Amino acid sequence: MATIEDALQSSSPPSQRASRRSSLQAWYADRRGRGAVEVTALFVLLQVGCVVFALKFPKSFAYLDKANIGVMSQSIPWLAMLAIGSGIVMMVGELDLSIAMAMGFCEMVFVTWYSHGHSAWVSAAVAILLGMAIALINAIIINVTKIASFIATLGMASFWWGAQQWYVGGNGVAPRIPSEKVSKSLETVFRASLWHGFRGQMIWLVVVTALVAVVVHRHRIGNHILAVGGNENAARSISINPKRVRIVAFLMLGALVGLAAVLKGVQEKTLIPGTGVGYELEAITAAVIGGTALRGGKGSVVGAVLGVGFLKTFQAISLLTQLDAFYYKVYVGIMILAFAIINQFFERRAK
Amino acid sequence: MSVLLEMRNITKQFGPNVAVNDVSMTIDEGEIVGLLGDNGAGKSTLVRIMSGVTAATSGDYVWRGEKVAKPTRAATEELGVETIFQDSALVDKLTISRNIFMGRELTNSLGLMRTKKMDEISSMILDSVVTIEGIRSPRQLVGSLSGGQKQAVAIARAVHFKRTLLILDEPTSALAVRATEALLRYLEQLRSEGVCSVLVTHNLHHAFRVCDRHVVMNHGRKILDVKREDTSVEELTAAVVEGSEGVERFRAGRSLSADL
Repeated sequence: MATIEDALQSSSPPSQRASRRSSLQAWYADRRGRGAVEVTALFVLLQVGCVVFALKFPKSFAYLDKANIGVMSQSIPWLAMLAIGSGIVMMVGELDLSIAMAMGFCEMVFVTWYSHGHSAWVSAAVAILLGMAIALINAIIINVTKIASFIATLGMASFWWGAQQWYVGGNGVAPRIPSEKVSKSLETVFRASLWHGFRGQMIWLVVVTALVAVVVHRHRIGNHILAVGGNENAARSISINPKRVRIVAFLMLGALVGLAAVLKGVQEKTLIPGTGVGYELEAITAAVIGGTALRGGKGSVVGAVLGVGFLKTFQAISLLTQLDAFYYKVYVGIMILAFAIINQFFERRAK
Repeated sequence: MSVLLEMRNITKQFGPNVAVNDVSMTIDEGEIVGLLGDNGAGKSTLVRIMSGVTAATSGDYVWRGEKVAKPTRAATEELGVETIFQDSALVDKLTISRNIFMGRELTNSLGLMRTKKMDEISSMILDSVVTIEGIRSPRQLVGSLSGGQKQAVAIARAVHFKRTLLILDEPTSALAVRATEALLRYLEQLRSEGVCSVLVTHNLHHAFRVCDRHVVMNHGRKILDVKREDTSVEELTAAVVEGSEGVERFRAGRSLSADL
């Protein structure tokens, strides 16, 4: 490697004159077509629009009210965890349709452990390890049998739905966290009330997003995930082991599913086994909005989080303007199509 | 001249089908070997075994006189074998720089990639190792390159990491005339630097121009293994088209056209 370093020093390319502007251009060139920059711009526009409306019509559009911010800062983080996880698995070229049911199962276990007197930390660790174990099973099934991941995980979704019923004993009596048992640790660690309705879950969201974004976009393993998802044969011919990479991607998903279960579990009054059908599709939708390619090889962690932001902002809008609930579904449908088209457009432009 | 790689009695079966049937061949140091044959002759399977992507049913993989017990891709990577497959060895959705360093990323102690350094070295490779026209920056997505540019990037990568054996599976099939010329000249240049190549191709004229030796396969068997000076394009054509009968007929002095 020494020769190259020498050559680099001696040749001193013209790029040494790199101005601030060209480094900005390079920054954009590196990111455009990945989806996140475009989605961020649209997201900011949407938020500015909402804020302007809320300031103009504070009575009829209470977007900035403590109550609304409280709802959003509780409902975004856990779905964002699922979206990031789904996004990573999509980047490696797979789909996991069992995450909603797996999350439900982790949530049951978390709440049960916690209400049996274990600390919030221990219960959360158990839920996250369980999520990783469930995802590992999926990865092994896909690696060994080579069946399409969405078929395999469709089967596992049904399995974990049943497992939830079995866990609560089949009589439908759901576990819950008795209010007298809400300890200081649970309160401060997972759902601290911050300023103006913001909740502790938001801190988890920011920290985890930053961490996972670094791993996916800057760490070696992230490059391997995109390589395997983009062209498995090419990755294999350069001696990247696709099976191992797939397992790593699923383990990351599993940890995020476990964390989502915790963030959702701490705010739930009563758990009903088997609810949550459709969260997996919302997570995939969010990832697609954020620029993740369904066929793998491309995606953005921050984009997936903003995708959830989009969904939940529209949900808030339809709630605040008292639109019927089905409008939200209509929005989601339109947004999937719109963003798929927008992302394709920017991807073509990037070429 | 010493032998770099010897494939000894290689057989590969897929169920009842024998794709490669008891083939032995060698690649000497400093040699370009042409691996020729019609579609379905078993070239691609043999190449996949050679590069470690597929395991042979039986037979030995001998590298510089030593038998490699398990020639997996990881093992052949270690030896310095790089294959450029016909369906391209690059990931379209990643940048040139990330492709060049795929699997060999420059990282800090935490495993985080040193992207700036990788970009700088990539630019240098693209400028110096192979001159490729029309590439603006190492951050360009590979999907935006032409077939020839992709091949060049793949070759640049192999050269930069000082591979000892380069296997090219149908490298010229996607290339324009000028890019093909550049590629063939490039293989000759590599040979002078001590890098061996195996060139798998349909195009006998390309093979005849650069290869020192030709191995012709037919229905999974090796039917011809000759040095360049002992053969001609006509004989190779006869071997590829008609199999071992064609070689016999050619050697008996009867031209193809007289027969038809």
